[in-house]
Amino acid sequence: MLAFEATWSLMTPEIVLGALAMLVFTIDFMTGIHEKKPFIGRLSIFSLLVTAVLVLVMNPQGGQIGDTFLVDPFAMVFKLIILVGVALVIMMSMNYLDRNEDIYQGEYYSILLFTALGAMIMVSSADLITLFIGLEIVSISSYALAGFKKHNIDSTEASIKYIVLGGTASAFILFGMSYLYGLTGTTSLYEIGAAMPELFADYTVMIMISLLFMLGGFGFKVSMVPFHMWAPDVYYGAPTPVTAFLATVSKLAAFGIIIRVFTLGFESIYAEWAFIVATIAAITMIVGNFIALTQQDVKRLMAYSGIAQAGYILVPIATVLNNFSITVIIFYSVAYIMMTLGAFSIITLVSEQSGRKTGMDTFAGLYQRSPYMAVAMAIFLLSLAGLPFTAGFIGKANIFLLAINGNMLWLAIIMIVTSIISFYYYFGVIKQMFMAEPKPNAEEIKVPGGIQAVVTVTLAGTVLLGILPNLLLDLFTGFNWMI
Amino acid sequence: MGLSAYYDNYIIVLIFLILGILLPVVALTFGRFVRPKNPYAEKVTTYESGIQPKGDAQVRYHVAYYLVALEFIIFDVETVFLFPWAVALDQLGWYGLNIMLIFLTILVLGLAYSWKKRVLEWN
Repeated sequence: MLAFEATWSLMTPEIVLGALAMLVFTIDFMTGIHEKKPFIGRLSIFSLLVTAVLVLVMNPQGGQIGDTFLVDPFAMVFKLIILVGVALVIMMSMNYLDRNEDIYQGEYYSILLFTALGAMIMVSSADLITLFIGLEIVSISSYALAGFKKHNIDSTEASIKYIVLGGTASAFILFGMSYLYGLTGTTSLYEIGAAMPELFADYTVMIMISLLFMLGGFGFKVSMVPFHMWAPDVYYGAPTPVTAFLATVSKLAAFGIIIRVFTLGFESIYAEWAFIVATIAAITMIVGNFIALTQQDVKRLMAYSGIAQAGYILVPIATVLNNFSITVIIFYSVAYIMMTLGAFSIITLVSEQSGRKTGMDTFAGLYQRSPYMAVAMAIFLLSLAGLPFTAGFIGKANIFLLAINGNMLWLAIIMIVTSIISFYYYFGVIKQMFMAEPKPNAEEIKVPGGIQAVVTVTLAGTVLLGILPNLLLDLFTGFNWMI
Repeated sequence: MGLSAYYDNYIIVLIFLILGILLPVVALTFGRFVRPKNPYAEKVTTYESGIQPKGDAQVRYHVAYYLVALEFIIFDVETVFLFPWAVALDQLGWYGLNIMLIFLTILVLGLAYSWKKRVLEWN
């Protein structure tokens, strides 16, 4: 009688989310194609919240199933970030789906839930294969989501570009993983990390090739610089809530696995790759911020700003990888999700009310049309830029201090200079909102309930974390992130 | 073993690769220099069993073929997983049965989805 002894209760959140996602899927195809299905949207949000509660409640001390599935504080916090992020995306998209008849509603929600499931598997894996499975679930679902607007050429173009480039990135990752497997005979990150010091002495070139290819593949998902070209086109073509999802949850889940792979697998050869990652971070910040200066379309602007933000998050990875730096990264991730989802929900609102256009001039005179949304958007943009009293400022200040402590003064200076350059384009939007006249035929803006809820939650989070960051920082201080 | 043994094993693969590329290239190049060149209009037209070729060279086919092939791939991979499970079932017992039933349920949901959404219809 063969039975695998393991604490399967560690996987309860994933199993519950999988079952509920299939329930949503089943309800969808049992009802008609073109009906409006708000019930499915609410059921999706409910299932995400149930899963989040389960993540908090089940097995708070953590544990492992062999080497494939790992639950530690790092995994739990990232899972909560992912679940809350996807719940906010679903709230943001409920009204968008009702207005856009060419998006099939039920499948949209179920694919988003499966993507959340894949992201959860990604961040709690300590094995290369499980990591790849989670990554592919997220990637393939994202390819489908990017092209979800039927008969819309921009959406189809976004999806095709994402599939082709994403497939190449997955091939890079597998190639890097194959070298690690070939050298060690195991896919467990713990054993690879233990064998790394003597392997690196014998097979330096192969380990470096493997590391660079994996960094390249993961870097595609986080839109790091030589692999960032997909971001503007895909962000522009995809439906706006999907863009919000790609810019936040997908990026943060990929950062989770970068941290996991580099801390468990490559920690011992830190001195070799730190400079490479630091250089990539610097180039990413420079390229992202400079190209964003010329953008006239808000979604492309947010894509380039997202590229620059990925550079900021790479800085702590390059400087040092201990508990404090992971705390800083996670704080910045929470702040980033709040401000980016808030900004994207207002972009969704404004572009829907302006005939589905996403130029900068759709924001003209927003303060006169809807003052609450304009002020909220201004606060989100100030947080993205890193001005005080916002969560973005605290996050960047912590990253800056970390860079200086890690003796990478040049990186800290580049971060500050590029942040200042980013003020120009963030303030460009603010200028449109507050100082431009609204278009002659602009209507009164009716804010849907979902967007109202998302903006309120994210605004509260951004301002609260900016004024009282110790709420989170004290909570995370005692954690030993990776067991 | 070391890195040089790793490279030695792959030298043979490299030699085969180069020979494999060179063989048709050399054969065709040699033929190009040796054969007579005398093209005239009738010789250069496309061959279609002696009949005059007409119409577009690109044949259009029903997109349902693509959908059937897609469904086939998925259920074929499911079958590949079913075979070793079936062979080892008496050692796996009830536990193995339940796991495979969960797997099959997920795929049956996919089949039900494509049935209800009329993916397999030809019209």
